[in-house]
Amino acid sequence: MEPPNSAISRRSFLNLSWKALLGLSGLLGLGGLLQYLGYQTEPSPPTKFNLGDISNYPPGSRIIVPEAQAIVQNDSQALWALSLVCPHLGCTIEPVEDGFACPCHGSKFYLNGAVRTGPANKPMTEQRLEETADGKLILHTD
Amino acid sequence: MRKLSVLASIVLFLAVLITFWAAQRGPKPVELIPTLTGKPEYCLTCHADLPEISPAHPINAFGCIICHGGEPLALEADLAHSTMRGGRNPSDLVVVEASCGGTDCHSGPLEDQRDHIHRILTSVQSTYAGAIANIRYTFGAQPDLIARLGISAVQDDLIVTSTGIPSLAAFDPTQETSAAVQSFGGNCLNCHLSAKPGEDSAYARLAGCAACHTPTAGTNLESPIHQLTTSIPYTQCNTCHNRGNYDLRSLTFVPRQDTPTSRFEAYYQPIAQFVRCEWTLDCIDCHTRTEAMGDGDIHSSKKEIQYIQCRTCHGTIEELPQIQRVSGLDDLAIRLAFLNRNATETWNLKSGDIILVARQGEPLWNTRLLPDGSYELFGKATGQIFPFRPVKGSSCQQKADEQGSQFCHACHQEKR
Repeated sequence: MEPPNSAISRRSFLNLSWKALLGLSGLLGLGGLLQYLGYQTEPSPPTKFNLGDISNYPPGSRIIVPEAQAIVQNDSQALWALSLVCPHLGCTIEPVEDGFACPCHGSKFYLNGAVRTGPANKPMTEQRLEETADGKLILHTD
Repeated sequence: MRKLSVLASIVLFLAVLITFWAAQRGPKPVELIPTLTGKPEYCLTCHADLPEISPAHPINAFGCIICHGGEPLALEADLAHSTMRGGRNPSDLVVVEASCGGTDCHSGPLEDQRDHIHRILTSVQSTYAGAIANIRYTFGAQPDLIARLGISAVQDDLIVTSTGIPSLAAFDPTQETSAAVQSFGGNCLNCHLSAKPGEDSAYARLAGCAACHTPTAGTNLESPIHQLTTSIPYTQCNTCHNRGNYDLRSLTFVPRQDTPTSRFEAYYQPIAQFVRCEWTLDCIDCHTRTEAMGDGDIHSSKKEIQYIQCRTCHGTIEELPQIQRVSGLDDLAIRLAFLNRNATETWNLKSGDIILVARQGEPLWNTRLLPDGSYELFGKATGQIFPFRPVKGSSCQQKADEQGSQFCHACHQEKR
């Protein structure tokens, strides 16, 4: 008994399968390549912060800028900023009544950022403030 | 030829498909950039559920890699863990300097009392030098009780006490000629900070710093607690202590067979006398960091470093206990109190407070002289406050020449 006639020959079927597999492999490879080329690393943390109107920082104020891990202080004579990253081991320093305290290891700092008691042996880092022409305050943490 | 090409294309397709599938299947990395290192690490991708190890080591400042080692950007567990220090325990004494050291951390200067690693590496808790010297002396392997050998070789370049010795060589039982000393080496080296704990959960502890500072007593060590604390309960001390006794005839350790049902029974030494404060307080309420972690010198016996007695807190019939005023925020007493989080609110030690001080001058920061002449003690592990009084002025008939703790025990021991 003869096999039934097929619309596509065995040779053509294999040929088609071969090309289809090669095509799919190429597409998958291309997908992988695009994914690789399109990979985006986490963006670097910002180093410039617009803190809004300078009038928001009146004399006597001590305002934390959480996104910059910094504090802006106005001691009636000047406006200045300090990093709240502890110079000892990088914990976040907290403002207290008469200065600053590190909750991790107990270092204490004066209001101007100088070391009051260790283990920190370096002062808090001062950060640059800039006033724009339209009265905005810009904090630079770099 | 055509068949071979089809076969090759199938293999190629499957290889590309599997690669693509594997790449899609991997976890999406969770990035952390600790302020201390400023370098990204992906450990939280899998370990986000771990609690912060201590308030002094916040994850945002320290991250994981600086203590544990490992591959910071690997997402595959075996690769990520392949270069970890000390496996799950980076405080193992073999790797402790790399994990916990550094002048800003636990290898700080002696004068600043931040030389924790040097202290612990030279302490009797890690050298076991006293026991080794005792046994070697007893069986004629050395002419006196001065230690020569320890669990590991150790050196001390700055001797600060009259009993300190400059170095120890590593104890190797196979080099001993006495069979008894060899037997001791085989059976009895299980009571130091690098020793493998016994199998029962009562022995459950890690090695190195974590042996004391990571409370694991009664737990399954397969899933150790991610915690470091200075509030060490007596149960953690009892993972080594009070577990039984050494039989000096067979030179083997004989575990206790009873199961303690009360705190009082948790103390073992059957012939010893215990007074109330010894079993109502935790061990660390009286025994200081210097007694427990050493003073930086290598000693031949624990007796050279164990100095807290009843009189340290209660004085004698003729003398009040030694006191000192907390001198300022940088006073060691304030610094030590700060590290105990139970004490931050409950105890509130301040500059100007008067505290007791040990014979060597070590501040007992968890004590305080009250205006009425009595004292109080803060329980470091429990946070409880315990009032107590001096012997002087009491009805105690202690003789002036009988001031040692054994005489206190004779009258004040609890019935066992």
